[in-house]
Amino acid sequence: MRRSKRMLDELDADIREHIERETQDNLERGMTPEEARYAAVRKFGNIARVKEDTRDVWRVAWVEDLWQDIRYGLRMLRNSPGFAAVAVLTLALGIGANTAIFSLINAVMLRSLPVEKPSEMVLLRWSAHREPRITGYMSSGDCINNLRVAANPTGCSFSEPMFREIRNSNQFSGVAAFANSGPLSLTGNGPASMISGQLVSGDFFHTLGLKAAAGRVLDLSDDSPSAAPVAVLNYGYWQSSFGGARDAVGRTIELNGAAFTIVGVIEQRFTGITPGSDYDVWLPLAAGPRINNPRMWDNREDKVTWWWLTILGRLKPETPVLQAQAAISGMFRNQMLHGSIPLFEAGGGIPGLPGPRGGAGRALGQVVVGGPAPAGARVAPPPPSGGPQGTVVVGGPAPPATAGQGTARIQAVPAPTAQGQAPSDAASEPRTLSKPDDEPTVTLAGAQTGLTGSRGRFASPLYVLMIAVGIILLIACSNVAGLMLARAAARQKEMALRLALGAGRMRILRQLLTESLLLAATGGALGVVFASWGSNAIVSFVSNNQPRPLTFATGLDFRVLGFTVAISLFTGILFGLAPAFRSVRVDVTPALKEGFSASAKIFRGGVKRFSIGNALVVAQVALAIVVLVGAGLLVRTLQNLRSIDVGFDSHNLVIFGINPSLAGYKDAQIDSFYRDLQGRLTETPGVKSASYSMVPLLSGAMMATMFHWPGTPQDRGSESDTLEVGPNFFSTMQIPFVAGRNFTISDYEIAAQATSGTTPPAVPTPVIVDQAFVAKFVGKENPVGKRFGQSEASQDGPASPGYEIIGVVRDTKYSDLRREISPMMYTPQTIQGATFEVRTAGDPQALVPVIRKTVAQISPNLPLRDVTTESQQIDRLLFQERLVARLSGFFGLLALALACIGLYGLLAYEVARRTREIGIRSALGAQRGDVLRLVVKQGLSLAVVGAVAGIGVALGVTHYLKSMLYDVSAYDPFTIVAVSVLLVLVALAACLIPAQRATNVDPMVALRYE
Amino acid sequence: MSTKEERERIELLQGTLDLLILRTLLLGPAHGHAIAKTIEFNSEEVLQVEQGSLYPALHRLIKRGWISVEKGTSENNRRAKFYRLTSKGRRQLKIETSKWDKLVGAIARILRPAE
Repeated sequence: MRRSKRMLDELDADIREHIERETQDNLERGMTPEEARYAAVRKFGNIARVKEDTRDVWRVAWVEDLWQDIRYGLRMLRNSPGFAAVAVLTLALGIGANTAIFSLINAVMLRSLPVEKPSEMVLLRWSAHREPRITGYMSSGDCINNLRVAANPTGCSFSEPMFREIRNSNQFSGVAAFANSGPLSLTGNGPASMISGQLVSGDFFHTLGLKAAAGRVLDLSDDSPSAAPVAVLNYGYWQSSFGGARDAVGRTIELNGAAFTIVGVIEQRFTGITPGSDYDVWLPLAAGPRINNPRMWDNREDKVTWWWLTILGRLKPETPVLQAQAAISGMFRNQMLHGSIPLFEAGGGIPGLPGPRGGAGRALGQVVVGGPAPAGARVAPPPPSGGPQGTVVVGGPAPPATAGQGTARIQAVPAPTAQGQAPSDAASEPRTLSKPDDEPTVTLAGAQTGLTGSRGRFASPLYVLMIAVGIILLIACSNVAGLMLARAAARQKEMALRLALGAGRMRILRQLLTESLLLAATGGALGVVFASWGSNAIVSFVSNNQPRPLTFATGLDFRVLGFTVAISLFTGILFGLAPAFRSVRVDVTPALKEGFSASAKIFRGGVKRFSIGNALVVAQVALAIVVLVGAGLLVRTLQNLRSIDVGFDSHNLVIFGINPSLAGYKDAQIDSFYRDLQGRLTETPGVKSASYSMVPLLSGAMMATMFHWPGTPQDRGSESDTLEVGPNFFSTMQIPFVAGRNFTISDYEIAAQATSGTTPPAVPTPVIVDQAFVAKFVGKENPVGKRFGQSEASQDGPASPGYEIIGVVRDTKYSDLRREISPMMYTPQTIQGATFEVRTAGDPQALVPVIRKTVAQISPNLPLRDVTTESQQIDRLLFQERLVARLSGFFGLLALALACIGLYGLLAYEVARRTREIGIRSALGAQRGDVLRLVVKQGLSLAVVGAVAGIGVALGVTHYLKSMLYDVSAYDPFTIVAVSVLLVLVALAACLIPAQRATNVDPMVALRYE
Repeated sequence: MSTKEERERIELLQGTLDLLILRTLLLGPAHGHAIAKTIEFNSEEVLQVEQGSLYPALHRLIKRGWISVEKGTSENNRRAKFYRLTSKGRRQLKIETSKWDKLVGAIARILRPAE
């Protein structure tokens, strides 16, 4: 291009030179100087034009043409503002919806880990053919654990000795291990509060390549039992709770009663390694025993049978991943097959799993201990002296902050096989974690994909929504394509004229594509605005339904903008191409003449064009039906879940979690604390009654118990859901008794004695069961007085008198609404953490401050956890269903509106085009009704054809929604009929306006037309 | 008079000027004015090149790499730009010439079918 500039700069001189030479020649021929000069200039021609033409030679033609096309396109759009507005708005809605959902997918599924060089990080995952014999397993919800799968269990928690061995092996340039710390009560910074924390290895931050925003990060030397206890704060938490004060570093805080010095604040971008689970504070692994109940902690730091750490490694550039994997796998296998296990620890592993955040259920669910064979698991936390019967906490926590929701379910209860096999193993073989034919191995997966966190929960709703908005974009495209076709027909003469004047077909094609891309670009820009509103609304809806705000960072990044640009271009080409090709295929002569022979226009050219226009409308209606049917099914699911009889009165119920042991209460003090609080709450004005239970109903958390039912084979365990409850629980929850009686004070004493472990219980623990329990185990006999779960003394423990049924209550839903009602037994509460339920006379929210004050009167340093109402909690439980129902409903209506605008546009255009025909018809005696019918018939038949096609497609695809539906078939006829009726009604409305216009055609005017 | 005048001033067909320039430069490098004069002279003044139109054509040929430009001094010691046929231009001239021959032949056959 520099050459062109030089050439052009010299052009003036060249021309001057040329003219001088010519003048010289003329002078030599004998002209006067004046004549000579004049003749030379005349012979040269128009100097300005020569310069212009020369400049054109060097010009980059397409840029110029593009600019010309854009200016022309803008002018055309300005000339038809109605068309432009409808097209841009339609596209903006389509592109905006796609961008919004994609920005959520981007934030939740695609964003890279907030660490240095995330591609180097790998997640360690073990697998084997059979579940290893471990005593403790904890997953913090960072990745997928499948322990209870009969064949090939897999998981990503490891023991701390294993972690140390891996670190010392030097296979990685750095290793980071971490686990949820359990609930933390923080004092020493204003009022006591509950915060979330993560235990991390000393080199965690160094391995991830993270820097401190203030102070320093943790060091290896901090992670030792003898080191001074230290903590690193989350940047956001530092800002919100310490006001971002520099002197926060160096201050001492108390976590669960233990003192920690704040040594630093981590850089702002890091809020947690796993997507969707963020922590307020990070503590070294060595701090675990200080902040946990010793019984729950179980000295796990030195046990190869206690698996609780998630491990990430940073690959060395020189070590291939397969080589590192082989080395780690070898170490793992060695430990599994040859590591020695203390005899008392061996047993079938039963796992628990918590989520990263402390809900009531989580507090308890955090640690779950596998129990001795044969009869089941040990009670977690306090082991029952009584032996066989035990409790397994399977509770996932309240919804979204939880991660491995699927995991929680799978790990429910020990499989009978595990129970049966343990003793024989013990007798015949050395105690190892696995046998050679279990083939225990470790694989290294990319941390980016391996650390799923709460992603899994959102994956399927997000993909369903993405498909819905994808369909909406298609509808928007075909809608605009329809408009463009109509316009192309109107511009046929213009195109023919331009072709006749010698414009290249490619040139016109490009011009038309430029126009559609202009529309798409404008639509895309507006769509980004819609998208940022939309995704903000969705995120705030999600956050309002969480115990803690969800911290997926949404927003526009390059990936989202790239996506928007790509789909804008794609849509522009998609809806622009067909009309553009039609336009340039114009046959020049008839098109130019058409103005003079209107009748030809109706018959020729019309048929073909309308078959495309009709096809587009049919496609739009069909696609809209698909979205509407899907949305209808999801809305019906939500309705069904909402109208479920939960078995208790969920209105006017305040619930809050409280754990007095965090404030130093011990054993019997805890019990009396609860009774004291229960009494004071009951006396509070506005409160009808109050009680407590281990976890609240419908919070997502649940526990189950294994026991032996008399009359069944000795080696077979039976299972029931179980819940420890306080006095007056049933009257507070308004769960009616069907038979028998409520717990009395002495029942609580029996239960306390049974779990205290000091003396073997003499009498069975009294339990109250539900109707499902009676139906499954007792049958027609009188359930009251029935005993079960007795066991003889054995190596597993002393004899146990088991349980005795003292009452039967109505069935209730337990952990969540979707789960079937199962056999359930209520036992007197003996456990430390509890959730209080307070039945209020009026608005439950109004009583929350009073309740806080009441608790503070007893113990000012005791934080309340998850203060909410039962209805709010149910809303949270249903939040995913509500989100999906709401969004898909919105998108369904959007699809319907777009399809009907398409239908309206087609009919309106057609009526305008057929003015003359309609005029002739009315002149020949057609009545208003006939004309009306003419238009409505076309519109409705298109709508019906589209609806039938749409229902066909919908029936083919709705079964993909099955896992998200509740109590409604994927082929639900009611939904399909309702959606079709809705569509036909709206389509009718869309037909009526143009039809009305058609009836107003004045025959005289129409006939004189043209 | 006027008929003779019109016969003398045949407008160049589009693209033929390029061909004429290339052919002229086959004789050796020349400056712009000389090219115009040569075309006029060799066509016995039938082809009246509007001299200005030479320049866009020269630039077009330079851009295509068919001719190159060099600075020098002309016969009477004046500053001048000389245009020279490149080897690419030489090849192009052959192609264009045979194309032209074909065109002329074809048109001639149509116009004089009897021959």
